[in-house]
Amino acid sequence: MSLLQLIGILVLDTSASWLRMFVALALSVVISILIGILAARSEKAERVILPIVDIFQTLPILAFFPFVIFVVVGVLPGWMGVDAAVIFLIVTSMLWNMIFGVYEAVKTLPTEYGEVASLYKIGLLKRLSKLYIPAAIPRLVEQSELSWAIGLFYLVTSEIFSTGNSNYSVTYGIGVALTQLATSGNYTSYIIGFAVFVVFIVATRYLFFRSIELHVEKRGIIIKQRHRLHAGIMHRFRLFRELERIAMPRQRRHERKPMQSAKTAAQELHPLKSHKWYKYTIAGVVVVILLYLLGAFSPTYLNYEGLAFISLIYSFARIWLVFAVILLVSVPLCVYLIFIAKRNAAQFMSLFQILASIPATIVLPIIALAVVGFPHSGEIVAVLVFFLSGIWYVVFSVMADARSIPEEIFEVKGLFSVKGMNAWKNIYVKSVLPGIITGGITAIAAEWNASIVAEYFTTTGVGNGAVLSTVGTGIGKLLDTSLASGNLTLMAIALINLTIMIILINTFVWKKLYRRVSEVYK
Amino acid sequence: MAKPIINVEEVSFSYDSKSSAKVIGDISFAANEEEFVSVIGPSGCGKSTLLRIMSGLIKADEGKVLYKGREITEPISEIGFVFQDFALLPWLTNLENVKLGLSRSRLDDSEKEKRAAKLLQQFGLKEFDDAYPNTLSGGMRQRVGIARAVASNPRVILMDEPFSALDELTAETLRKDVERMLRSKKIAVDSVIMVTHNVEEAVELSDKIVVLSDQPSHVKKMREVRMKYPRDRHTKAFQDMVDVIERDLGRSK
Repeated sequence: MSLLQLIGILVLDTSASWLRMFVALALSVVISILIGILAARSEKAERVILPIVDIFQTLPILAFFPFVIFVVVGVLPGWMGVDAAVIFLIVTSMLWNMIFGVYEAVKTLPTEYGEVASLYKIGLLKRLSKLYIPAAIPRLVEQSELSWAIGLFYLVTSEIFSTGNSNYSVTYGIGVALTQLATSGNYTSYIIGFAVFVVFIVATRYLFFRSIELHVEKRGIIIKQRHRLHAGIMHRFRLFRELERIAMPRQRRHERKPMQSAKTAAQELHPLKSHKWYKYTIAGVVVVILLYLLGAFSPTYLNYEGLAFISLIYSFARIWLVFAVILLVSVPLCVYLIFIAKRNAAQFMSLFQILASIPATIVLPIIALAVVGFPHSGEIVAVLVFFLSGIWYVVFSVMADARSIPEEIFEVKGLFSVKGMNAWKNIYVKSVLPGIITGGITAIAAEWNASIVAEYFTTTGVGNGAVLSTVGTGIGKLLDTSLASGNLTLMAIALINLTIMIILINTFVWKKLYRRVSEVYK
Repeated sequence: MAKPIINVEEVSFSYDSKSSAKVIGDISFAANEEEFVSVIGPSGCGKSTLLRIMSGLIKADEGKVLYKGREITEPISEIGFVFQDFALLPWLTNLENVKLGLSRSRLDDSEKEKRAAKLLQQFGLKEFDDAYPNTLSGGMRQRVGIARAVASNPRVILMDEPFSALDELTAETLRKDVERMLRSKKIAVDSVIMVTHNVEEAVELSDKIVVLSDQPSHVKKMREVRMKYPRDRHTKAFQDMVDVIERDLGRSK
């Protein structure tokens, strides 16, 4: 095959992937406009939509892919079913921050606009086309670009995933093509394919998104460039607040006494000291009883539950250990770049942006092949892919935080000569703590997402049928193998375990940290 | 004659070093021992910049600032600084914020903690050691800011519009407190230099008022204020002095 032919095929493959992406983006735009405006205009809808969006934003939806593909292909066999499942998945990755963009843009419209509309009895359709949709467009464009980056990760991961089973294989796609090239040992071609992929990413960014942005700006609507990557992530915070308001309205009223003394405010900042242990004990007892009943009802199900739980523990340990490493690498790096090296930060930012826009799972095939034969090679693959999947979220949100620190803080640093360890501890690291949390939420979600391919990587669907890389135990592996063996019950139990754990961690770790941080940092 | 503590000598400054448009034209004045000096001028005349030059945070284009005859090239522990917007680190407790003011000190950590706690107590914030700045009112936050500024026992305090971020009632209370603490030597310093745009405030607190002109600013007038502390704003002498300064500034009443 000549080089030109190869490039031609790779361009076709990437175009096929991009077609899925654009279909998903178009669907997301339509859905987010409808849902976002509805949430902003109707309080009832708002109460339902916001919490749902919140939960979906933090759930690793890719973990549901084996389940979704099983169901969709069951209804719609062949490539159409697989493609529909992939597109559905990408939509579920793109949608949430776009809904929020629309919601916020419409919600923050001056009330006078709505009043004018009702004064002149402007109809619903006209109100949508002349007022709400135009108002939402700048934010929608801004969020679309973020969604595109997230969607790309889902696309590549689901394509690579699809190579694992011939029933569910995507025929054309850059993720598939690169997996094939890597597994056939054709490294030169793999590199060329990788280059084609990167060219597509950069071209989409500059030709497609930039031109839309310019067009929107020309019409006099300014898109705030500053918060671009951060904005989507920051929504999570507002979301939590919203969720809190809905979930515990009574408690909130209690807490918000107007003349609260600083002492009680300080005590509230240590939420772990709450005396609600009896609740947890009751919850524990209920869980034990339920498990006992499950065992009595069906010992097989109890076995499944045990398997799912153990797998979850392993994946949890892997993912959070990698997260710790991400923090150890990225926080000092960002602090150094922004606070100490200062001048070169802008150059690094653009380099990081390009690196970050390449979905980490695209390098999975090559990593898997590179470490074949190493002891614990499966673990190495999983850890590396987790690391690459999560690190950029932390880097960008920490950098955004570090850059927004007011100049006065540095004057204080200079005036009182805060240096060395003192500066690292009291200024640098603590100043980016909110960024560590926002980045952490997203980084961990990305790691969970990556787990369905990184913990168990096989190319049965496209090649020699070997399992290329696998960890000993893990929830991603369990989901994959239960799909392969058609064990829907086991898969469902694994998903329930995963979902419950994510919700528990959101409630007991992220939300607590968030509340503490949001009271301290304005 | 009183000993000069701070000498500002022919200082000039422009934001953009290439352009010749100067913000600070050519300013000279001195703050002597036991003197509270206010620098007053129209907004945008570079008052805050001048104060930052005195602190050693910013370098003057020309001229220099001396502390007891020594040129200031970088911030030194003998000079404390109070910010308009407090500039407390929101992620540190009030105690830790005050402790940060002792960064240069050789005291060990527990001694620093003791000193910081004592200062907070002096400023009426005994209960708030472990609270975070954002849980406090503006007036309380500025008290933490002042406590931090005096933590290292500076000989001079520079204050950049210290009361202007507060509502009038809070500002008045804090002004009175600061004045009392200076007089009673609870805040034991040789000299205070305050930048303000509020004429009444300057007359209430200062022994000397330096009136600056518009950009490029220079010293328009230097006024001594000889009234007993605490000063009552309702006396005729006070109002006359305010009128004099207003005229110096070119604001007509």
